[in-house]
Amino acid sequence: MPRRKDEPGFSRRSFLKTVGAGGVAAGVLAKAPAVDAQGVNVLGPGPVPVTLNVNGQVHRLEIEPRVTLLDALRTRFNPPMTGVKRVCDRGACGACTMIVDGKTIYACSTLAIEAQGKKIRTVESFTQGTVLHPVQQAFCEKDGLMCGFCTPGFVTATVALLEKTPNPTAEQAKRALDGNICRCGTYVRVLEAALNSGVKRG
Amino acid sequence: MQQPPAGPPRSWPPVADRVLLGKSIKRLDGPDKAAGRAKYSYDIIRPGMLYGEILGSPHPRARVKAIDLAAAKAVPGVKAAIVIKDPADPVKATINYQGEEVAAVAAITEEAARDAMRLIKVEYEVLQPLATVEQAMSPNAPQAFSSGNVSKVNTSAEGDVEAALKTAAHIVEGVYATQVQTHTSLETHGGIAEWEGDKLTMYVSTQGVNASRDGIADALGIPKPNARVITEYMGGGFGSKLGADVQLVIAAKLAKAAGAPVKIMLDRKHEHLITGNRPSAFAKVKAGVDAQGKFLAWDSETWGTGGAGQGAGFTVPYNVYVFPARRQSHRDVYTNAGPQRAFRAPGHPQACFITETVIDELADRLRMDPLELRMRNVQPEAPNYQWKKYFPIGAEKIGWNRRHPTGDATAGPIKRGLGCAANRWAGGGNRSTRAMCEIQPDGSVTTKISTQDIGTGTRTVIAMIAAETMGLPLNAVTAAIGDTNYPFAPGSGGSITVGSVSPTVRVSAENALKELFTRVAPQLGVTADALEAKGGRIQVKGTPAKGMAWKDACKLLGTTPIQANGEWTQGLSSVGTSGVQFADVEVDIETGVTRVKKIVSVQDCGMIVDKLTAESQMYGGIIMGLGFALFENRILDRNTAKMVNPNMEWYLVPGISDIPVIDITLVDQPDRGVIGLGEPPVISTAAAIANAVSNATGVRIRKLPVTPDTVLAALQQERAGGTL
Repeated sequence: MPRRKDEPGFSRRSFLKTVGAGGVAAGVLAKAPAVDAQGVNVLGPGPVPVTLNVNGQVHRLEIEPRVTLLDALRTRFNPPMTGVKRVCDRGACGACTMIVDGKTIYACSTLAIEAQGKKIRTVESFTQGTVLHPVQQAFCEKDGLMCGFCTPGFVTATVALLEKTPNPTAEQAKRALDGNICRCGTYVRVLEAALNSGVKRG
Repeated sequence: MQQPPAGPPRSWPPVADRVLLGKSIKRLDGPDKAAGRAKYSYDIIRPGMLYGEILGSPHPRARVKAIDLAAAKAVPGVKAAIVIKDPADPVKATINYQGEEVAAVAAITEEAARDAMRLIKVEYEVLQPLATVEQAMSPNAPQAFSSGNVSKVNTSAEGDVEAALKTAAHIVEGVYATQVQTHTSLETHGGIAEWEGDKLTMYVSTQGVNASRDGIADALGIPKPNARVITEYMGGGFGSKLGADVQLVIAAKLAKAAGAPVKIMLDRKHEHLITGNRPSAFAKVKAGVDAQGKFLAWDSETWGTGGAGQGAGFTVPYNVYVFPARRQSHRDVYTNAGPQRAFRAPGHPQACFITETVIDELADRLRMDPLELRMRNVQPEAPNYQWKKYFPIGAEKIGWNRRHPTGDATAGPIKRGLGCAANRWAGGGNRSTRAMCEIQPDGSVTTKISTQDIGTGTRTVIAMIAAETMGLPLNAVTAAIGDTNYPFAPGSGGSITVGSVSPTVRVSAENALKELFTRVAPQLGVTADALEAKGGRIQVKGTPAKGMAWKDACKLLGTTPIQANGEWTQGLSSVGTSGVQFADVEVDIETGVTRVKKIVSVQDCGMIVDKLTAESQMYGGIIMGLGFALFENRILDRNTAKMVNPNMEWYLVPGISDIPVIDITLVDQPDRGVIGLGEPPVISTAAAIANAVSNATGVRIRKLPVTPDTVLAALQQERAGGTL
């Protein structure tokens, strides 16, 4: 997560240095100094090693710091993990929802490099072999999906909801799913799936 | 391949005998979608694939004077760069809307492609754009379009409106408006172009694999058989993906130049800017009714903008009600904005809102129940005109008998109101549709047809029909779709998919079955016409014990599968649906915020194939209609004509907390054959909601979307002298 303004060590100078505002636009892959005069770690703008723990597996990549967690999985993993989707790429629609250290996040608005050392879970982890997770099963049974493009994000947000709140009220479920948009209009049945997935406590 | 046999007209099985048809059957691709296994064009990565980025003009109106690709080409990883707006051609080098394609690059990574795209140097002569219809129609406006900013007037009339209006007991006059709406499909436009020699394979997010292939091949100047489009899954279109998209033409050119496959997927901003929209609609209406509540006349001037050089047509009065004398004089107004494209029931939500609002105003003049006024004036009853039957059903479900006259007199800022509206749509089927049904010696069945499943459940419908026809369980049949290599099917638009594919799949399955019967018959010592396929067996009609299991029958095929063609045939589908919607709303007259509490819908669609997916279509259409009613608006800056909200945080589509109780009555009409349901449910929602808001607040809402500022402005206008 980006450091907050009130946290120690924050200054405009260090912020600009970590963003690397100077070198990115020219696309020059010059090697940046590892540590600048103020002792701040500078990474990039060229590819740097990034290690991600996704669904219990460790993936080692060489990617530019500006690559998002979403794009890292979708385009840099081998084979690519394309379960969650890129739709708005600016944290407005939830199609890229992943669970990172137990919290749902928008992977499009998270840099891959920020997600190092964290436990990342994606929609792919909910299915065991060919057996669907009860939430996925409920989405199928209630027909809480149409074109399916928003579905991995909704499934992930629903799993996260039920892991925290196993028997949510309709209001709690709506609140948890307010961050996911569906254009086909599956909300009625998504809610039915979220409230009737048979996910039990424990 | 076997020729389809001549014979008696085709029919669906009797309702009592149906195993799958008309039932609620789970979507076959549900598990793949829920598991994240389904691969959309956006997900596909081909070996050696490059990422393409298109530079769109930041200026809505401009001329491209010069383009310099040198710096872009120098970015490491860039493999191709092309000019699209050639400055040497002054006509072609004109920009008419923000985002119009100027140049493009392809690179090994998306980041490199974006860096390169930002380094393309373009010299623009920026011109004054037309941002609004008022600007375009003003006599001082720059002529932004060669044929002028405003089209010729097109008038359609019946009877003598002026004479009829003179006899009216009550007249309503007003100006009504609806906004530009963008499709906002979650998967943006684009795909992958991959050459192998002179053959081009494309994975496209499209609603029409055949139209895509044909148009892209033409644009590239290659023979159509050399091009193939594949769409296994796609993330929404709603009408914006029916044609050949320029993104694929550009990707193909980049791919040719780079010698590698190229993927281009639009970003969200350009998806809003350039992939189409529902045009705006304006109507100046004068309508008259007699003292008994019979409509006499409708006189209207209408206009609207479909953006750069595009039409904004719609027909009023909406053809649900009888207006013996009517006139509509329409002009298209061109503005420097993204060109319109078909958007779920083109023209209908606009025409419905305008007409249904006028009708509620006429009801107010008459001091008559607006539902009663509608019942007196709807078109006479017919199989495709069932409003007289549906209005009372919907009225009962919404509790219309507790409706108060216009203006909730309850104390306090929260007002409740009810409204209603009707819809009609054609649907039907395309008679050029073809399918091929294959029965393998191992007993598996595949139906091949180049339709696409845009989220409606087409894949499941196809498998259901083939399975029903052959007396097999659903999991014995595979629907192979979304590939131009398969027999022709039309694009998924106009609500014609189910009416096109259902008869064709039925016919091809019957043809395949008849061929199988000819192999089985000798084994049982009967003629082929004595056989039937039921419960996984081929057996003699009337003597079911005399037969064999499906798998044993198929073993008789040896090593050669059956491949039977099917052609679309009359008698299994028809045209014309009708429906009504009611809305119950709550309006806070201090904040102007509207909350829809309940929508009731009564709708037919001919013969329902899959009840589960049909119901989902209903929910989906109503929710999209709710967005049109309350939230969605493509807003242009009135000075620069640039879109102010080309994103999903300010272009607002409904979210889960916006959804009311939705009560659906889907009327099954098995005797009418398959018709179609994609568009009907989106048509009358906004009209019903706006009428309900007017009923609640006591002020007339004459424009969409019904945002808080619209409600507050109407209330203020009422206090200042009235909207009624």
